[in-house]
Amino acid sequence: MVIRIAAVGDVHLDEDVVGRFRPALEEMPGNADVLLLAGDLTRHGTEVEARCVAREFGGLGVPVVAVLGNHDHQCDQVPQVVGALEEAGIVVLEGNGVVLDSPGGRLGVAGVKGFGGGFAGRCASDFGEPEMKAFVRTTTESADRLAEALHSLDCDLLVALTHYSPVPDTLAGEPLEIYPFLGSYQLGQAIDSAPTALALHGHAHHGSERGTTPGGVRVRNVAHPVIKQAYSIFHLGDHLDQAQVSGIGAGGIQQSWS
Amino acid sequence: MTRHRGLGAGPPDEYVEAEIHRLLTEDPAVAEQGISVVRTERALVLYGEVESAQRRDEILRRVSERFPDVPITSDIGVIRKQAPTEIEQLP
Repeated sequence: MVIRIAAVGDVHLDEDVVGRFRPALEEMPGNADVLLLAGDLTRHGTEVEARCVAREFGGLGVPVVAVLGNHDHQCDQVPQVVGALEEAGIVVLEGNGVVLDSPGGRLGVAGVKGFGGGFAGRCASDFGEPEMKAFVRTTTESADRLAEALHSLDCDLLVALTHYSPVPDTLAGEPLEIYPFLGSYQLGQAIDSAPTALALHGHAHHGSERGTTPGGVRVRNVAHPVIKQAYSIFHLGDHLDQAQVSGIGAGGIQQSWS
Repeated sequence: MTRHRGLGAGPPDEYVEAEIHRLLTEDPAVAEQGISVVRTERALVLYGEVESAQRRDEILRRVSERFPDVPITSDIGVIRKQAPTEIEQLP
């Protein structure tokens, strides 16, 4: 059996782009079992913008699961943003998870926004000024919550959803100097601590699509400027052949790539 | 944001580049973190992708307004939003 996951991040909704994604989203039922949103759903994190997200991504006919991104925190209206999304039936994760029944099995999604800090050997340390320690501890706590959420789910297939990147691979294309602001290795460590099948993130607009954690978990950067389409679709299943051409014909989704 | 001194003659310098880069994120009318500012001999080039033509125009308007003496070239695109035509199989 196959579980079909659609995903996109960094859509930065506001009034000026409402309706932009909708035609492509209308094609999703029948082609995906779930839509995952990898943060930065809004421009400034206001309730008004969150209502735009709710209009655009609500009522799709498939479950929608999201994490927030740094933009969604800008105006300090996180409870209102989450409230507006939840009213539209969008599940918002932060240190928790959800299990969804799909024809292909039970899909578990664990999510956190995550945070920066950098990657092995080139990362910030929990040392020195209180501000630096607070920075690193924010990352560590986020990664700990992700690990806990991943381990809490009873499912057939486990996916980690974050805004910040768990690996440097999918940042290729970004300036090296800003990697510590784009993700942290602790997120990767959390993902590797559980039987995770796929990790999805956004945030790195100039990054690249594909990577792997040190433990071998596949990572995909689904930031909208990276995937250059309304969303990507991933098919996960034990029997799949990477070279197999999919028979899916609806909605113009016709062939696989790998 | 620190006000830059001595914008006038000469090519754009690193401080202008830094200020524009911060403006792109910190100006609420822009709020874009995905725009790169590249300094060339003659001008500053902005490139990246945004969600609407209106946002692209606003970026150029705000930067030109704030730095009227700096030659700016924009190569910002609007991100495509079509449904995927291919899937990725992950065995």
